[in-house]
Amino acid sequence: MMESLAISLVNAVPVLSGVPLWTITLLIMVMVAAVVLTFALTYSGLATYVERKVAGDIQARVGPNRVGPVGILQFLADGIKLLLKEDIIPAKADRFLFVLAPYLVFVGSFAAFVVVPFGVGLIASDLNIGIYYVMAITSLVVVGVMLAGWSSNNKWALLGGMRAAAQIVSYEIPVGMALLPAVLIAGSLSLQDIVRSQGGLFGIFGWNLFHNPFTFLSFFLYYVAALAETNRTPFDIPEAESELVSGYHVEYSGIRFAFFFLAEYGDMFVVSALATACFLGGWHVPFLDAEALPALWGNLFSLGVFLGKTLSLVVLMMWIRWTLPRLRVDQLMRVAWKYLVPLTFFNLLGVSLWLLLFHGKGIPQMIASLFG
Amino acid sequence: MKARAEALPTQEMLINMGPQHPSTHGVLRVILRTDGEVVVNARPDVGYLHRALEKIGERVTYAQYMPFTDRLDYLAAMNCNAAWAWTVEKLAGIEVPERAEYIRVIVCELNRIASHLIAFGSFTADMGAFTPFLYAIRERERINDLFEDICGNRLTYNYVRIGGVSADLPDRFLEKTKEFLDYFAPKVPEYNNLISYNKIFVHRLANVAAVTPEDAVGYGLTGPNLRGSGVPFDLRKNEPYSVYPEFDFDVCVGTGERGTLGDCFDRYMVRINEMKESVRIVRQAIEQIPEGPVMAKVPRMFKPPVGEVYFRAENPRGETGIYLISDGTVNPYRLKIRAPSFVTMGIFEKITKGLMIADVVAVIGSFDIILPEIDR
Amino acid sequence: MGLKDYLYDIWEAVATTAKGMRITARYGVDPRETITLQYPEERWEPSERFRGFLYNDIKTCTSCTMCVRVCPVDCISLESVRGADKKMVLASYDIDLGRCMYCGLCVEVCPPKSLKHTSGYEKASVDRGELILHFIHEDAGEIKARVAKQVAEAAAKAEAEKAKAESEKPEAEMAKDGDPDSRAAQKDAPPLAGGNPEGGGAAEKKPGEEKE
Repeated sequence: MMESLAISLVNAVPVLSGVPLWTITLLIMVMVAAVVLTFALTYSGLATYVERKVAGDIQARVGPNRVGPVGILQFLADGIKLLLKEDIIPAKADRFLFVLAPYLVFVGSFAAFVVVPFGVGLIASDLNIGIYYVMAITSLVVVGVMLAGWSSNNKWALLGGMRAAAQIVSYEIPVGMALLPAVLIAGSLSLQDIVRSQGGLFGIFGWNLFHNPFTFLSFFLYYVAALAETNRTPFDIPEAESELVSGYHVEYSGIRFAFFFLAEYGDMFVVSALATACFLGGWHVPFLDAEALPALWGNLFSLGVFLGKTLSLVVLMMWIRWTLPRLRVDQLMRVAWKYLVPLTFFNLLGVSLWLLLFHGKGIPQMIASLFG
Repeated sequence: MKARAEALPTQEMLINMGPQHPSTHGVLRVILRTDGEVVVNARPDVGYLHRALEKIGERVTYAQYMPFTDRLDYLAAMNCNAAWAWTVEKLAGIEVPERAEYIRVIVCELNRIASHLIAFGSFTADMGAFTPFLYAIRERERINDLFEDICGNRLTYNYVRIGGVSADLPDRFLEKTKEFLDYFAPKVPEYNNLISYNKIFVHRLANVAAVTPEDAVGYGLTGPNLRGSGVPFDLRKNEPYSVYPEFDFDVCVGTGERGTLGDCFDRYMVRINEMKESVRIVRQAIEQIPEGPVMAKVPRMFKPPVGEVYFRAENPRGETGIYLISDGTVNPYRLKIRAPSFVTMGIFEKITKGLMIADVVAVIGSFDIILPEIDR
Repeated sequence: MGLKDYLYDIWEAVATTAKGMRITARYGVDPRETITLQYPEERWEPSERFRGFLYNDIKTCTSCTMCVRVCPVDCISLESVRGADKKMVLASYDIDLGRCMYCGLCVEVCPPKSLKHTSGYEKASVDRGELILHFIHEDAGEIKARVAKQVAEAAAKAEAEKAKAESEKPEAEMAKDGDPDSRAAQKDAPPLAGGNPEGGGAAEKKPGEEKE
């Protein structure tokens, strides 16, 4: 995709024909990556602000309101504060791993942004193994978290790291299983293809969410499992502020801590974006087909719709966080292995049978075909 | 499998929980020996907040000791104030005006609500839900406003005096209290809907650290911790003092409704229900409060007769007993305070064996200990 | 655990979560539920009985030392000398707010009601010395010296009158009368000029301690 872009660029601007093609491709790649990273960082910063604002509203408080209008620049102030803070590495820590861990977590979380289908043509790289790639790259997070817990040479951090490892590894299974129905229906692992497959039928009944009862259930199972994968309350036991002080990142300060922090919000976005793309029809919305619009408007419109859906899922996560208490570590494992894993398997079976029996048609399609 | 476990010997981990830890409610230190996440032994280490309050009692006069009782259990300072006053009055045989007794009961019960609110709020925060904590603080703030009206301070009240109370109720105090009760009464069911019966919350607490009634009595647990084990013992009923016999209220006991009798959930529910009972008591007291003086005649250079006295009062955290020896001078000869939280820590090591680290936090929270009282 | 229990477990978890989330949502969207006061701009009205910083109206203070004696933490220090008209004159009156626990016992015992709680509650300083409130700004030593001088003048006047009236009395006794006052003033002045408020307070406390 990048290469074809580069070729068309060279064709459009004859001056560039002397430059080797690979440099232009590389430059375009770097630019796209920079755009995605900028978006991801801005989003993460704003998400921390929104989180605090949501918490404030729920708790009968105001939340940040001092920096900028309604406190919206608070995240910049926090960011600057974190940058200027002393970077402390404990004397007995494993320095190399200690420094490495935040980057692994950050990369694991933000590399996943590459395949998020923001709009009709807005996708950094439409990999044909999109979902698979996300599952694989987010697994880096667990390595980073474990290293952070281990290298800090702190018992609380170690416990947090171990908890995180057990948790994320367990919840990868239900997350993957819950996403599979969408893959089955679309017949593709590419997220853009999955979104495209949910078009039609007034733009809402084509969503996988309404495809059949099993996919409906699948969405909620995915959402619960995804909450656990991002270490959010009620599954935030690796951090567990009131038990493990703050788990694996207890020894981190300054910008290294910020990396963990941003990665958490990046993770939230990625899992919400996956839920949107796989179950909520991506950028499909009733009565307006983004693909039929002119390219620029279609892209902008679909970007807005996609972000709207995804961010409301992110806010839902915050709402849940400020309502629920935290599970205990053994209960967390029980939820994964006794509830989520069997249910997602059951679901997958149900969806497969449904697709087999009704030739891939969902309930809305069948109703639509009844009326001609 | 077993052979492999033997081949790979594991070590116990020694973790220092506290004195700086977010959920030890102050400066409690617990020395944890764990096998992974499972606690092998948890030994509480107290004494980080020792201020020699009992010794101070020997060098200040009876009236001067009143502000120090504020610092005994700062979340229930009114109750500690009143307990000290009742003790000295019992020793000296002072007859307290009835209106003063009613005022004491009103402020004590309001303070019990405030204290239980903090217990409820900090407990839920320990369990990972921060929102109820803020709600609890919000309600408590209104109680603090009432107390500010009545005595001018919001935490360390120093309102009760030997022989009565320092000042009569301000204008509109009773109406304001009624308004607060009307506001507060519907909040308790809301807490229950929000968190108490939440599945996760119930699972975290039910069957955790159950204390049998025999153990509870044997280890000297008192107050909500004892009643949580199903023992209906409340000093306000069983050994009535002040004007408590005038009021109609129930003793809340744990029933084991979601698990075993005496588990963390029972102790928690006892506190929730006691808030309702306190509302009832305050309502009755407001109805019945007589007019009259609020201070008995007590000489300025107050010297009680030679003798000794033990008085115990039902405080939010249990039975606060004060043992006082007087040698007839202006200072007490010896003062000993039986602090409920301190006694409660005795059973801590026993019931935390085999629990998980997260449960240790739940146990500390469910006992609702307060450190200044433990260390005195 | 049968299938029914299994499904009921799931149902209960979902239902109780939804219940809780409905409550938090209500608080979240209802702006009337926000109770925060934006502190430096908005303030609550302290109640009439609010126990803020102590304030002593030195004009009405009779330097009876009741407050000093009743204070459980010894945060009030007071120095006074007997003036020419036999009334006590305050030389210094300091309250250490760093020690004060705002219990209000001193206000309750104050016979002329000159010591009062104000509604002030904002005081932060980088130096503990700034937390000591001085109610008399003049140097204690100067006041003492001045009072001693007045006393001496009054004594001299009285002496002169006495001498005029009873000229037959021996002179030695008269000198004895005037002496103690001036000696006391000289003894007390140096430590105070050196800025030690404790010394004065302790010295003044003696009569109270004797009673105990």
